[in-house]
Amino acid sequence: MIFQELPEQLQDFLRVLEYWDHILVGLTKTLWLYVWALLIGFFLGLLFSILRQYGGRILSRIATGYIELMRGTPLLVQLFLFYFLPFSLNALLEAQGLPFIPIGRWRFYVSTTIFNRTLTVVLLDHATLIGILTLGLNSAAYQAEYFRGAITSIGTGQLEAAQSLGMSRRAGIFHVVLPQALRRVIPAWSNEAAYLPKYTLVVFYIGVSELFAKAHYIISEIFLTLATYTIIALIFLVLITIISKLLDFIYKRTAIPGL
Amino acid sequence: MEIKYEPVLRVVDLWKSYEDLEVLKGVSFDLAEREVKVIFGPSGSGKSTLLRCINMLSPPDKGEVYLSGQNLIAPSVNINAIRARIGMVFQHFNLFAHLKAIDNVSLGLRRVKGLPKEEARVKALETLERVKMAKWADHYPAQLSGGQQQRVGIARALAMEPDVILFDEPTSALDPELIGEVLQVMLDIAKAGTTMVVVTHEMGFARAVASEMIFLDSGIILERGTPEHMLTSPKSGRVKFFLKQIDILYGRHEELIKLPDEDENK
Amino acid sequence: MNDVPNFATIFFYILRTGLPATLMLTALGLLIGFVLGLTLALMRVYGGKELGWLASGYEKLLRGIPVLILISIFSFGIPGLFWYLEPLERPLAGCILALGLRSGAYQSQIFRGAILSVNPGQMEAALALGMSRFQAFQHVIFPQALRLSVPSSSNEYAVVIKDSSFAYGVGITEITKSGLDIAGNFIELWALSMGVVAIIYFLFTYPITRIFGERQTKKLKKLGMGGG
Repeated sequence: MIFQELPEQLQDFLRVLEYWDHILVGLTKTLWLYVWALLIGFFLGLLFSILRQYGGRILSRIATGYIELMRGTPLLVQLFLFYFLPFSLNALLEAQGLPFIPIGRWRFYVSTTIFNRTLTVVLLDHATLIGILTLGLNSAAYQAEYFRGAITSIGTGQLEAAQSLGMSRRAGIFHVVLPQALRRVIPAWSNEAAYLPKYTLVVFYIGVSELFAKAHYIISEIFLTLATYTIIALIFLVLITIISKLLDFIYKRTAIPGL
Repeated sequence: MEIKYEPVLRVVDLWKSYEDLEVLKGVSFDLAEREVKVIFGPSGSGKSTLLRCINMLSPPDKGEVYLSGQNLIAPSVNINAIRARIGMVFQHFNLFAHLKAIDNVSLGLRRVKGLPKEEARVKALETLERVKMAKWADHYPAQLSGGQQQRVGIARALAMEPDVILFDEPTSALDPELIGEVLQVMLDIAKAGTTMVVVTHEMGFARAVASEMIFLDSGIILERGTPEHMLTSPKSGRVKFFLKQIDILYGRHEELIKLPDEDENK
Repeated sequence: MNDVPNFATIFFYILRTGLPATLMLTALGLLIGFVLGLTLALMRVYGGKELGWLASGYEKLLRGIPVLILISIFSFGIPGLFWYLEPLERPLAGCILALGLRSGAYQSQIFRGAILSVNPGQMEAALALGMSRFQAFQHVIFPQALRLSVPSSSNEYAVVIKDSSFAYGVGITEITKSGLDIAGNFIELWALSMGVVAIIYFLFTYPITRIFGERQTKKLKKLGMGGG
């Protein structure tokens, strides 16, 4: 057989790749988590950066506090905190005899069959929801810092000019500052966007079945630790490179002279 | 026979402080329609602050401002609507970097005055024509020289058809060769009847179109008068010294620029 | 202790039990990262095409692989690794190595940026005095680059101490794991325990990034350094 003649490492890789259906499911789940986290992080981060810059004393402090807290604590701890919170609250409520928060075992999934193997990706269940929310909230704090940098780099003159025309502060922020800030932030933001997939792994610890979890499963079946992790690592490298190049391309396409 | 008229702009006893520093200490003047006033003085005298008090970008601590009779300090006033009637041209142009020249001029027309897109565009183009920038309508600010950017800035203010336009040292940030084209535009619109308050040390401009010149020093109006009076026989020694410094700067004086020594009278 | 632990008990238990491992992971990880990062930065700035390409490749590789995977690989992915250590010590060593290799890639960028932002005139002046390039680097460029790198380095410290929480997954009792331990079977404590853990991490990150981040940048600007 041809396989016997290949070097041992390559044989290992091929054996891992026999689980391509699991890998594909894991990858899809990872991408799913990534896209949602990125989106939530984008809108929430933009909101927080605007609040921090233009919000007035109270809102600005709240926004800053949120950002510093999320950036100063590990993602894993945040994940555990949000995941445990309903359970802990339930335990406390139960002790008092009060009605508690229902945490059912519900799930939304899609399923398809390719080459005689069934692939099922769970789109949403309790753990996935918590995972997406935590990743999104966390990413928002980091993205907010990028947006803030872009906003401050634009300078106060632009808003002054808009107001001198008679635009309200809100209109000035929305029509003059933000369009420029969003274009200026693309290089730094692409950094965050490209590397975010790396952090989605952490949801493995609350039982979400994404790529890292699949790696553990495969290892538990064939015990080829190094080969499995290497393949997973390669997948991430390729994914990140693709996203980077894509964002680079978009940036060059939408460039405005002087921005 | 005395004709009663309401001045376009009335500035009454303005006071403004930043932290502990008193920048304006009781400044007052009137501005009639079609009048051009030039405000000049040493840096830090409060000239920029004065302009920003007028259009409430930085409201005064004490005093009042009236635009065509309307009190701008009153709490019930819609300050955005007021600002649409006061134009401003900035020292550093502050053109909207993400918009082409034509869009810079039409943005205010569309978003503040509510003009439909096509009408705003036509009007913007006409205004650009007045400042001789119609050819560059589709250029971005970064593609324009400083003088060209400032002319677009003037068009942006002009297009709103304000009651008065405030100029904050419009040529101070320009290379010498580019100052002329901007001053020419300002002369043109002054002669066409625009009501202007101009902070500048371009004395040629003042001599040509100013009806009054005001010397501001440390937040107080030290002297005021017609250009002939101020430029030939000012009363205050401070004004004399300042005008001499400007002449030295432009090389019109026999003395060369001196290094600081004991003779410096401040 | 048969009664339910309270906030203070949890707090001090975690500090006693988990903090040593966390600090060791962070300190050693940063140290390895420092040596590695400096070397790579020198390779990229002064090394010429091949060395520069090599260093750049390493950076891209280590930045693209999730740190969790690195930890997994070095903790039990390579059977012969750390043969000289006790089996129980190997995951710790694996984590330190993983954190160090990753940090090296990021510190390389930090130092490269800092070196490049030292005014080029400085090197010129040093050479004009007759120093060799190595001397110039040692006595003129490096001290300034080091000061310029403080804000970014304080940020990297925060990243590494936060990443050390992943050591929980390979069984090391650092802050996060001890937080889970003390909560034990008391479900109502789990959230509180994690809250305490979060506070502890925050206490170790925010003050440092605050002091060495912004203020340092402002001080540097006052001294007129950097900004080549």
